[in-house]
Amino acid sequence: MADLVDSMLDLMRRLPPTRTEENVSALIGICPDYADDLLGSVDQPLQVKTDRLTGREYLACDYNRDGESYRSPWSNEYDPPLEDGTVPLPKLRKLEISANEAFDTYREMYFEGGVSSVYLWDLEDGGFAGVVLLKKTMTPATPQEPSGSWDSIHVFETAERGRQAHYKLTSTIMLQLITKKGSEGDNSDNEKKSNAGEKKGPENWKREGEVTLSGSMTRQTEQDWPIHDGSSHITNTGRMIEEMEIKMRNLLQEVYFGKTRDIVYDLRSVDDLEKTRRQRELQKELLGSFKR
Amino acid sequence: MDSRIEAACSFILQSPPGEINDVLNDVRNIISDDETLEEGLLPALKEYNLEQFITVDVPGTEHQSIISEAARLPASEDGQERWIDPRSKTSFVFNHLTLDASDPQPFEPDADAEEFRSALEKAALTYLLAHFHDGAASVFSKQGTQNQYILQIVANKYNPSNYWSGRWRSEYIIDLNENTVEGKILVNIHYYEQGNVQLSTKHKISITLPSAVVTSPPSNAASKILALIETEEGKYQTSLNDTYHEMSEKTFKGLRRALPMTRQKLDWDKVLGYKLGAELSSSKGTFST
Repeated sequence: MADLVDSMLDLMRRLPPTRTEENVSALIGICPDYADDLLGSVDQPLQVKTDRLTGREYLACDYNRDGESYRSPWSNEYDPPLEDGTVPLPKLRKLEISANEAFDTYREMYFEGGVSSVYLWDLEDGGFAGVVLLKKTMTPATPQEPSGSWDSIHVFETAERGRQAHYKLTSTIMLQLITKKGSEGDNSDNEKKSNAGEKKGPENWKREGEVTLSGSMTRQTEQDWPIHDGSSHITNTGRMIEEMEIKMRNLLQEVYFGKTRDIVYDLRSVDDLEKTRRQRELQKELLGSFKR
Repeated sequence: MDSRIEAACSFILQSPPGEINDVLNDVRNIISDDETLEEGLLPALKEYNLEQFITVDVPGTEHQSIISEAARLPASEDGQERWIDPRSKTSFVFNHLTLDASDPQPFEPDADAEEFRSALEKAALTYLLAHFHDGAASVFSKQGTQNQYILQIVANKYNPSNYWSGRWRSEYIIDLNENTVEGKILVNIHYYEQGNVQLSTKHKISITLPSAVVTSPPSNAASKILALIETEEGKYQTSLNDTYHEMSEKTFKGLRRALPMTRQKLDWDKVLGYKLGAELSSSKGTFST
């Protein structure tokens, strides 16, 4: 029998990304003993919470969770409050504060909105690890406007080797895009192509529809970077994460708008396939008659 | 119901095109109670097959037939459920787990409806060949009513070695009493190479048939109806391109820029400098403990 966690992960890779949260909690209901494995390995949309002390928004995920509480990167406090919640050691907390400020700048430059959070934790072997979270949601003003959300989860581990540090980065981006369309009568959506040739008693038609593109992609990289001082870890992971997000954004664009569209055309052809087939037959015949 | 079975049924119903067996295997491993599962999952498997227009090779025919609510015969006295393939006028028993058809028997269609139904079927099969790479179409006369027909189309492509699968479904209810066609097109694409990306579209159409169509002889009327459907599906497919364009240009770009306004990547030393001033740069020393 295949490993249980593998089966759960395979299942999550197949079920609709729009229903990840619901499905993860159903799986936990079936196998409560595996809750931690599942929560630790299935990326779920980040939740936005508000820091009670500073009023600033932060992101909640498995990495800043302790029991039922989440730690804010701004005040370092847990909500609901925990007396002995895990917090980074003072030195690492100092770096965490700087990292949060740096990635907040990064967020503003690339996302022009949204929320970011960075969490760091010490590793037993002396290095440390962290997660950089970014989230932006577009809420439509009217139902006809497209909506969407972007969630980045960059988990890294680092170990120092003299004046170098080795970084292992695993990045997941969850992207959801939804467009709703409705039209009655004419095709006012298609201003761009003047459908001059088509006349078709438009009042006889009514259409409405919804297109949802959703999913997640994960990539990994390992790199060595020089370190000059403590803050080098921020510039190093910053550059790695920036590079990774640029790469993954291209990849997402290719898969979301290229691959899935190509597959639709693999199912149905806009052009008449029979005509193409007949033309090919005709060409073959012609070619044959020349050869004779 | 056992909550495990309930969850398992929900997973089955969410299966992407062509991946029901993978989902089923995962579910069997997770629940590891085949006896309870087999019985408990059957209703969900059946619902999935009906909803997804699963195709079946009907014994004694060369074509594929669609399993759907419209293909279900009213239960006979012995309680056994049978399904029809109107094209070969055959009824058969269908196993929702193995997807096999058995016990084919001749089926007598409704004589009044058959002329128009078979005309629609002929036109639909021509349309299918013209626009679908690998599809199936069935036309049913709606049971218990007159002058109502159901046209269903399904096209599947499964490519597990390249980690993708896709399904196009369309259904049209042609009502010659009201002179309307109510249709829906559903497309599902799954791309899962190092990720899980899904396209899901829903498109509803309602058409009022011009009287010229309705009053024509059946074969003419059928080709005209299919010509309307062909135009509509073609338009829908091209309009998807516009939607893609809009999503890429507006939503995607609006969520995250390709590069900052400066058109350059961040200067991380500056980022730190701006934010932290002298504080961190003065505290030399690394973070090894």
